[in-house]
Amino acid sequence: MKHLVYLITGIVLTIVFFVLASSSGFSIYERLYYSQGFNDALYNHNMYPTMALITIAITWGAAAIYYYVINSVKFDRWYHWLAVAAIVTLLVPIVCYAYNDAVFARNGLGYIAESIVFQLQNLLWTPLLFIIASFAMRWWSSNCRHTPIPQ
Amino acid sequence: MRKLLIWLVTAAGMAMMLTACGGNPVEQAMRDAMVQKDTTQARFDSIASMIKAGKERYKEFLTPEGDIDYAALGALADEVGSRLRPPMHWNIAAYGVRSLSLTVYFERSGSMVPYDTPGGRGQLKKAVNDLINFFPAHDASHVNINIVNDNIYPYQGSIDTFLQDRNIYASTAGMGNASFTDFQKIFNAILTAQRPDNVSVLVTDLIYSPADTKNVSIDKIFNEENSLATSIFKNYKGKSIIVNQLMGDYHGKYYPYNGQPFNFNGQRPFYIIVIADSKVMDAMAANADFKNFMNPNGVRNSYRFNQGGSNVDYAIVPDWKDNAGRFRVAHGKEGTLTNCQGDRNTGVLCFSMAVDMTALHKDDATLCNPANYTVQSLTGFKLAVKPITHDMFTGNNKAYLEGKTHLLTLTGDYKGPRDQIALTLRNELPAWIAQSTATDDTRPSGNAFATTTLGLAPFMQGIYDAFTVGGNYFSLTLTLEN
Repeated sequence: MKHLVYLITGIVLTIVFFVLASSSGFSIYERLYYSQGFNDALYNHNMYPTMALITIAITWGAAAIYYYVINSVKFDRWYHWLAVAAIVTLLVPIVCYAYNDAVFARNGLGYIAESIVFQLQNLLWTPLLFIIASFAMRWWSSNCRHTPIPQ
Repeated sequence: MRKLLIWLVTAAGMAMMLTACGGNPVEQAMRDAMVQKDTTQARFDSIASMIKAGKERYKEFLTPEGDIDYAALGALADEVGSRLRPPMHWNIAAYGVRSLSLTVYFERSGSMVPYDTPGGRGQLKKAVNDLINFFPAHDASHVNINIVNDNIYPYQGSIDTFLQDRNIYASTAGMGNASFTDFQKIFNAILTAQRPDNVSVLVTDLIYSPADTKNVSIDKIFNEENSLATSIFKNYKGKSIIVNQLMGDYHGKYYPYNGQPFNFNGQRPFYIIVIADSKVMDAMAANADFKNFMNPNGVRNSYRFNQGGSNVDYAIVPDWKDNAGRFRVAHGKEGTLTNCQGDRNTGVLCFSMAVDMTALHKDDATLCNPANYTVQSLTGFKLAVKPITHDMFTGNNKAYLEGKTHLLTLTGDYKGPRDQIALTLRNELPAWIAQSTATDDTRPSGNAFATTTLGLAPFMQGIYDAFTVGGNYFSLTLTLEN
């Protein structure tokens, strides 16, 4: 039952992240970085929900791979988990930047400097979501359920 | 348990994906069109096809007869546009004016004949032909031609005969009495006959020439003309009238109001008067299909009577070279700038907004003259206006400039903590009308005769007074906050 609460809490927190990231009135992305022309372009091209979805898919996907695909006793220490977290934390801003750049290029927009600075905030959101995903789904892993913190 | 886990994660993922991909396809298509600045007839037609292909799914956008409901789609466009940054507008109602008909009234008074002599360049006939050709539905069932002088007489030939006729006055000789023009009868007949889906065009020299003017003072004639115009047009408050002034070669006899006729060879002004319901005129002005019809070649001056205030589309340009100080456009509160601060060194706050003034149907001389605007604010902001040209576009400001026609720059020594700027473009009778008016046409000497029309101003003033509602072409209010 306790594990199910972790799972549901993880899903709810992730949905809250998605809603707050996509919202036009209160976007957590805009709270951390705002440059009018750039942010207007992201908003108009509906990129906030897509970037939030990319972040969620990669973090939850990486956690699922770690706990259920790798799922190995040779890879169940906290620093193994941290290595996966580090890879994910670097991967998400790169993928989001590539997506951002592709949409902007297709529409003849610039904002290269703004795009790079904007992605720095994913260095915060990505590990946060990876921790949420890990604590939501680790309990049913046969070999890694004690990673990163044994319980 | 693992099944539950997979089910929960999948359901949450699907819900978020659906949100990210957007909801209603019609809404998404409209949003894409506006963001890509492709608010064209072709794009609208593709959305209309999508709606017609899914009649059950999109029945809220169809009339009970199965036609496109322009009002419902317009409301959706307004809703989608208001959520964009900057808010955008797509005039969907303009696409509902495709089935208009055109009625041409061609004046055949004595002083009109010299405009279309075989030796002249035929600007008058060319202008009328252009109007017919550029009218979207210019087939026989939609175009009707009449000859007017003392009364209105149907033209006997076909549209093709009219277009190809090299001497229209010779071929219509004998129709009516060419010695005087009865404005009262003509305008009343035009305005009474006009249906809501009809556009009327009167081609005239606008010289008021009633019968028996011998020894009548010119002031008396002007006063009579002025009162006549007001008395005619005050009964048709729902109509809108555009007076276009053009120049054409004139070779032949001119008949002054109180003197001997004389020969004149040179250019003289003539007028193309477009009359339609105000709503139809607004829709034509906003519809690209009517662009050439509404802006005929060779127009020297123009003025639209009974033009109500319009809602103009505007966007404050965040990245612009002239910007000074700091400001931020508040989202969801149109026309509000927050975080306003004057420049650190000069104290000046300067910002520019791109405005789409297409629907106003005004020339640049009017729109770019700050004297035609009223700007009220505590700070005393000054206005500068210039047309938007393609060399101003960059990738980053394209979203703000595209689809807009003029850049309005406001500059002031802003001290804060708040201010409100009320900006209006006043609707006044333009200066060209007085400049194009003659009070004596008995002598052809001097430049004035070639560029002026006897009694133009009293007649125009009479129409203006008939429709006077005061007002402005548009008004904007901007709120500035620290």
